Amino acid sequence: MKGFARRLAGQLARGLVMVWVVLTFTFVIISIMPGDPVRAEYENLLQQGYSPEQAEAQAAMLHRFRPTGSVFEQYVDYVGSLLRFDLGQSLYSRVDVATVLADAAKWTVIPVLLGTVLSFGLGVVVGVYAAIKRSSKLGDMLTMSGSLLRGIPDFVVGLLLASIFATLWPILPRQGAVNILYEPWTVEYVLSLGYHAILPVATYTISAYGGFILAMKSSVVTVLGDDFILAAELRGMKRSIIFRYIARNAILPLFTVFALSVAAVFSGAIFIERIFNYPGLGMLLIDSIGRRDITVMAGALLLITVAVIIANIVADLFYSVIDPRIRRAGDRV
Amino acid sequence: MKVTRITATLAAFALAITACGGDDDEPTSPDDGDNGAAEEGEVNRGGVYTTIVTQLDATAPPNPFNPDTNSFLGYNAMRLAWVKNHPTDPSDFYPGLASEWEVSDDNLELTVTLHPEATWSDGTPVTSDDVVLSANIAYTRGSGAFILDPGAAGAASDVEVIDDKTLRFTQDPDNPTGEFVNGIMDMTIVPEHVYGDVLPADFEETLEAAQGEGEDAEEARDAVSEAGEEVASFDPGEDISAGPYVLERINPSEALLTRNEHFHNDHLVAPDQVIVRNYDGNEQVWDYLQAGELDSSHFVAVPEDVVQQIEAVPGNEISRTYSPVVAGLAFNQSYEPFDDVHVRRALAYAIDREQMVSVSTPDGGDAATTTSGIHQEVVDEWIGDAVGELDPYEHDLDAAEEELEAAGMTKEDGRWLLPDGEPFEVPIQVVSGFSDWIAAGENIATQLDEFGIESEILTSPDFTVYQEEMAAGDYPLGFWLIGLGPSPYNIFQRLYGQSNGWQVHAGQLSYSEPGEDGNWKGGPETIEVEGHGEINPGELTHELRTADEERTQEIMTILARATNETLPVIQLWDYINTQFSNTDRFITDPPDDARRVSGVTSLAGIWIQQGWVTAVE
Repeated sequence: MKGFARRLAGQLARGLVMVWVVLTFTFVIISIMPGDPVRAEYENLLQQGYSPEQAEAQAAMLHRFRPTGSVFEQYVDYVGSLLRFDLGQSLYSRVDVATVLADAAKWTVIPVLLGTVLSFGLGVVVGVYAAIKRSSKLGDMLTMSGSLLRGIPDFVVGLLLASIFATLWPILPRQGAVNILYEPWTVEYVLSLGYHAILPVATYTISAYGGFILAMKSSVVTVLGDDFILAAELRGMKRSIIFRYIARNAILPLFTVFALSVAAVFSGAIFIERIFNYPGLGMLLIDSIGRRDITVMAGALLLITVAVIIANIVADLFYSVIDPRIRRAGDRV
Repeated sequence: MKVTRITATLAAFALAITACGGDDDEPTSPDDGDNGAAEEGEVNRGGVYTTIVTQLDATAPPNPFNPDTNSFLGYNAMRLAWVKNHPTDPSDFYPGLASEWEVSDDNLELTVTLHPEATWSDGTPVTSDDVVLSANIAYTRGSGAFILDPGAAGAASDVEVIDDKTLRFTQDPDNPTGEFVNGIMDMTIVPEHVYGDVLPADFEETLEAAQGEGEDAEEARDAVSEAGEEVASFDPGEDISAGPYVLERINPSEALLTRNEHFHNDHLVAPDQVIVRNYDGNEQVWDYLQAGELDSSHFVAVPEDVVQQIEAVPGNEISRTYSPVVAGLAFNQSYEPFDDVHVRRALAYAIDREQMVSVSTPDGGDAATTTSGIHQEVVDEWIGDAVGELDPYEHDLDAAEEELEAAGMTKEDGRWLLPDGEPFEVPIQVVSGFSDWIAAGENIATQLDEFGIESEILTSPDFTVYQEEMAAGDYPLGFWLIGLGPSPYNIFQRLYGQSNGWQVHAGQLSYSEPGEDGNWKGGPETIEVEGHGEINPGELTHELRTADEERTQEIMTILARATNETLPVIQLWDYINTQFSNTDRFITDPPDDARRVSGVTSLAGIWIQQGWVTAVE
């Protein structure tokens, strides 16, 4: 237990350092990002029919929220605000960035986790099967499917699914998150939520599935050659018990893959949400970049990267909990 | 009778749009029978109407002064009137909350009568007090704030509350503006009983002080701006609307608007509910249209093959109407050899605009017949017979060769060389995602290459970068929207405004040298125009803000001629306002001049409230 606490403290310290690095990096990126939102807004207003003076004054309202002072002073202000958990306000809606992020995050976190868990479960089962049947055609086909899907970018998967199930054979919604005609949290509303989430979740699932199959198959094949499996077989243990041994040992590396997959899927959400017009953090990030809503942009980038860091920490800690060798090694330190 | 000493003209500019000095001395109203609005009993009611908006933000308040507002103009946000898409007159309106309006012959006085039945969705009548408060708020919110600059045209006038439903606006005769009527009628009205406490109690005194000069005035102007921030951030909580709909609920993908039973023209409103769907990219709109899910959509750029796919969907219909927007290829004359008018003329002759449009945007534009700075559909009305004196710059490679030779260039091995022997190169800057600009740029580059001029397109990652870099003078050539009428000042401000060196500060015009203060076009301050001698195009453009009709036409003629001779831009095509609707659930049939309303992108709310949408039985 003492070892776990020490590991937890170490992971948190490392995580905080990583968060600091990320927020510094985010600040630098945003500071050097080209593009003048005021001028772009001015042009948009002119095209809408505003007179030049009206458009200029209207667009200049954005300036009021622009950071002032030297870059270092801005950086100190930024970090100081974050330490107070103050992410600022959206330059456009004047709503707290935390509120904006919370509103968007739920549309990303749930589908991303659902898709990753589904692909994890599917990948583990199919991976074990592919390893056991590795000399058969079916095993080869399963392995090939993993390799193929691992190589296809997630946005291509998304576009393919959209083309097939929303255009060629339109049985699923192409865009949106829920039918607004339903009262929130009625049965119809929840069904509509699920219905609209099918394609994004399927995209996340299929995109991550290939990695899990290949990792699981490789891990199982390695474990199959271990002495303890041979010993179990020689002792005449039941096949199901041996399978449990295999699965429990082989699955350990998958948790690292899982954490990395969550990270990859999170970042992939930027493209997937755009394809399905699904209103999560990815869409928010793209939208804020396009409009140079720098406070929202910084908040979204920070949230996405912090989520990835947390996923990694959780995976590492979980790994130590379920693997006695690591747990004991930690206790000995 | 209550007289409120505020600067009505200023206030009206807040959420206002372009205008010119047209004499709208004929009062118009919904009862005139000549404005195209439907009559009672003409619409079939019921159903859910689906349309689109962009940048929907579910966290933003239903406050029309918030930049990400969930008050949608025409649906749950109302103006006094809606500006028609008139080619030359920005003071021609369809009724909004105002049922009648009358402008004095000298354009100094405007009397507005609110619709007698106009009522907020909570049952409170819409009154003159709402208009006065909205006028005050208008000063604080950006687009009206500029008038607080000392010396700005149109400063200081009165609004007089005649009765609960009638107001009289008067502009200062010593400082009039042609935008007076347009600015007021285009004002968004909010309920005084909801927004009344947002402005400080002494706001009107602060406004008066802000119009002066000196430190106190400066402080007052800051106070007005701060009040604007309060207004922008204000969350009224519940949506209180005087429009045909009220915001029922919203998620990040869609908003649901339901019928406002108190709306004064509810009998003309067909759909019981409206869903406005969010889009962040044009391709999302194309998908909705291809699925037949939208009852109408406003203009978005659509490639020809996608137009055909959309048209093939049963029930889908396309309308193509006038848009005042013109696409041009603008020169930065700080770059050699584009400072030489012969080079600019050579390029104008060398580009086959018909071919370019047929390839790049056949459904979205008409090839320009000449370069005048004015949309070709209205150029006759502005400059009359002088149109015939303009060089049409028809595709003529011989003429292009002559011009290049006049610029000292030579042709060797089929390639044009600069006087110093270096290849003549034409880089064309476009924006990623602007499909029509990219296709047109590629076609122009191909045409020029075939003519012996090295040309390529360079792509900016997005519009904000494009704007910044263009203003910084980084591009020798780039696409640039011109026209933007009907206001004559707005038309030529695109050519002879800040981008070409002329700026207005505190009502005073000044000129900055190329490369300074956003002058990226780098044209000369004065130019020789055949038959008119030496002119200062910036000064003439500035004069258009207050010029009378006769002088306006005179200036427009001179500037069109100057633009044609000196070519700060090559006029490429006039945009066509392409819109889509679907007839399966509703018939959407607005008049052509309602298919574009300044400052409003999602137009269906205006069409619905005028009775131009009816449910299919």
